[in-house]
Amino acid sequence: MQIRDYILRRLIVLPFLIVGVSIIVFGLTRIGGSPVAIYLSHEMSSEEVAEIEARYHLDEPVPVQYAYWARGVFEGDLGWSGVAAAPVTAVFPNKLAATMELAVASAVVAVSLGIGLGTFAGARRNKLPDHITRIISISGAAMPLFWFAIVMLIVFWVYLGWFPIGRSTPEIFASIAHPTGLYTVDSLLAGNFTAFRDSVWHLVLPALTLGYGATAIIARMMRSSLVEELQEEYVDAARAKGLAERLVLRRHARRNALMPTVTVIGLSFGFLLQGTIVAEIIFRWPGLGRWMADSVLRGDRATIMAYVLFTSVLFLVVNLVVDVVYAYLDRRVVLGS
Amino acid sequence: MSTTSASPPIVGAHESAIRVRLRRMGETAGRVLSNPTTLGGLVIILLMVGMALLAPWLVEPNTPNASQMPRDWGAIAVPPGSPGHPLGTTNTGGDVLYGVIWGARTSLRLSLIVVSVTVAIGVAVGSLAGFRGGRIDEVLMRIVDVFLSIPELIFALAIAAVLGPSFRNIILALAIVFWVKYARIMRAQVLHVKQNDYVDSSRVIGDSNWNIFRKDVLPNSITPVVVQATLDMGNIVLVGATLSFIGLAEAGLAEWGVLVSEGQAGISGGRWWASTFPGLMVFLWALAFNLLGDGIRDVLDPKTETR
Repeated sequence: MQIRDYILRRLIVLPFLIVGVSIIVFGLTRIGGSPVAIYLSHEMSSEEVAEIEARYHLDEPVPVQYAYWARGVFEGDLGWSGVAAAPVTAVFPNKLAATMELAVASAVVAVSLGIGLGTFAGARRNKLPDHITRIISISGAAMPLFWFAIVMLIVFWVYLGWFPIGRSTPEIFASIAHPTGLYTVDSLLAGNFTAFRDSVWHLVLPALTLGYGATAIIARMMRSSLVEELQEEYVDAARAKGLAERLVLRRHARRNALMPTVTVIGLSFGFLLQGTIVAEIIFRWPGLGRWMADSVLRGDRATIMAYVLFTSVLFLVVNLVVDVVYAYLDRRVVLGS
Repeated sequence: MSTTSASPPIVGAHESAIRVRLRRMGETAGRVLSNPTTLGGLVIILLMVGMALLAPWLVEPNTPNASQMPRDWGAIAVPPGSPGHPLGTTNTGGDVLYGVIWGARTSLRLSLIVVSVTVAIGVAVGSLAGFRGGRIDEVLMRIVDVFLSIPELIFALAIAAVLGPSFRNIILALAIVFWVKYARIMRAQVLHVKQNDYVDSSRVIGDSNWNIFRKDVLPNSITPVVVQATLDMGNIVLVGATLSFIGLAEAGLAEWGVLVSEGQAGISGGRWWASTFPGLMVFLWALAFNLLGDGIRDVLDPKTETR
């Protein structure tokens, strides 16, 4: 099969998956019975109840209700968030910016640290750096983020006092304009170095904490594929022609070892995305994750639906992109499927 | 489960099929446990399970409901090493040691229920899809695809939220989310095993579909499921504790995630213990099952080294 066909097939399946997800999300909100209960109070007459039902199309059959809801979503109407006391779409962009800032920073940490550690360990197989990396990568998969974050807070915030919590120092945050919603970018655009330092300073601890799990996954994959590559004949050939070990590693082995690592980078994105919920609760980061957690506890279904739908679509698209990149890098995948 | 059994190895026609199977299981167990990290994982698991089973004898159960944390209003937020509270108490006088020990019981219950339910559903669905093929396979696998499109934790969080906050609903939510992986693993295995000659031979001698599945396909397909189930014994406690940390379990439940959440209130005042100990338990639990799962995979299923 050609790469083009493979991508095309994946692209065709994508909308169906999204529709499938939307059906599940819609179905979820019907588990606890009709959502009309949200609008009811004891004093209402049955005519008033019927009127509310008619207004929100809740008197129609469920598939018709789904169609109304899906049309609303398509037109950008995601309902009213009780927690934010505003329409979901009005609050979403700002929260998304905060979450993306954290997620991207963590991804940068995870990818650079993961590839670095993996390379360092793989090139020194069965020596101390390798053992340390192994401990990091094994513990990463088992580490409860909610606990790790609290331990980091206890050490670096309570005892050492090196890092603050929250997203910003309020006075500094208020001193600049926020055209993008990304605090680091906005402070640079404003040319305000104090604000930039403030944004980075607030970002370091949550990004390191959130990135730990993904770092572990990436380092583990990088290490094992590097070990594998270093046993290949082309590496021997490169050494035989007198290339310095450093260059053998950098120009040959590492490049090839990066290929399988690309897929786990995609996987670890899901890891990061889910982690933002817990990280934002603990570091008091005003993003989507914390909003979702608040909504979960207060039964704010519109926000829950929007969040699940959005993260799933994002997850699907990222996975698709990763698969396509991987297919380009390694043609065997396409031929084998 | 030791391999150095005193009886000499018996080979030949006298040995019953059951004994052969038992001996092979013993040998496999010996190979799995010859790896020190795997053995370490098993030791932690045994300690944890022992703690869970012996909880009523280790710490006096709270009355009337042992899974509720007892409150000592006379000793609020005391540090570890205080009389009567070796691991200290929370801001609301909850004994951390009680939560750690009875939390093991809660976690054991959670993981056993969810793993057995999800394995049963997943194996049934995956086998049906793989063995029957055709339209059934197509429909079931599209459902699986959709389920896998929603990130695990977020899916479970949304389900538990809609069902309402309670530990029972966390169990239900995890069961709805976690069966999918088994269905996919099992289907792939069945498709692979189905192509073997011995399956064809059974067909030729006229064995029924059910018999072929039961005797040839199922036993030869189950290994990756066992590996995944071992890993999930840890993962489920990890995700379950995360959900209860977020606040989806009953307040005051003797559960590790709930206790970490309760302890969080005290950390700005330097009271580190109430979150640290129960969280460490979640970590050790998940770590131990990860080590054991990896060890089993290395021996039984060496082809798939990483997930």
